[in-house]
Amino acid sequence: MNRETFISCVEREQEALRGFLLALCCGRKDDADDLAQDALVKAYLSCAGYQEKGKFRSWLFKIAYNTFLNHKASQQVTQSIDEARTLAGSSAADFCFEHQDLYLALGTLPPKERSAITLFYLNGHNIKEIATITDTSEDAVKKQLSRGRDKLKERLKL
Amino acid sequence: MTKDKELEQLFLAQKPHFDDSAEFMQKLTKRLDAVEFVKQYQERTLRRYKMAMVAVFVVGIISGGISTWWLLSMPANEPLFNFNVQTGFLVWLAQNSRLLAASGLSLLMTLGICSVISNVLEIMDMRQSMEGKKGWLVM
Repeated sequence: MNRETFISCVEREQEALRGFLLALCCGRKDDADDLAQDALVKAYLSCAGYQEKGKFRSWLFKIAYNTFLNHKASQQVTQSIDEARTLAGSSAADFCFEHQDLYLALGTLPPKERSAITLFYLNGHNIKEIATITDTSEDAVKKQLSRGRDKLKERLKL
Repeated sequence: MTKDKELEQLFLAQKPHFDDSAEFMQKLTKRLDAVEFVKQYQERTLRRYKMAMVAVFVVGIISGGISTWWLLSMPANEPLFNFNVQTGFLVWLAQNSRLLAASGLSLLMTLGICSVISNVLEIMDMRQSMEGKKGWLVM
């Protein structure tokens, strides 16, 4: 895949990718965009390893998911829901207010459940694709989805 | 697995829209330019390494050949060098000079070959990681 093809593929997928990372970062747009840029640079450097058998989107999301997990591991900071609420209040530009409740609820989920829920409901991936992206079994994805859904419904009082 | 309707509606209603896609792509293009620059620099360095390895290999072959030819062309009954003294160890050195020189030369060539092979493997490894053929998932 050459540079032009890569850029044209990214142009098609960048909104979905940024949306996915925005949900994983609980609405922190700057963090999500930085991660998206990092993931895309890694994807560009790995173009040679991309086999055009699978979907470009799944491949890209897999890199983004790993980038997010690495970023999360490197931070080693756990934010409570109250801290997240304070952050949202202090930097309004960083947070999409209309999404606040959903993002705050997502923020309470562990990263794997958050990823599975986001991929399933926001990006419309099926179980098999989520298993490929998150590198887990389909059964594990089903459990993550089930647990995540219950927790989200409880937090959002649905 | 079926989707929960309420959650699905919520996610669909709150799907983010980005109005800064052009800026995002511009920023990405700039980063890719920087990456491209670094990649080209690494490729140039690799090419230089490769040329240096080829030069070392050729020089090694030529000098090894010349040294071997010189050793073999000397008269067999004459030592390579003579210390003009009668001390035991130096006499032994002079008597076995041809064998010792041949052994030294072989050792030097073996070390040289090992070093060249190790450098070639390192260059191949660098090229592979530059092309992103390994480790992209753990980056």
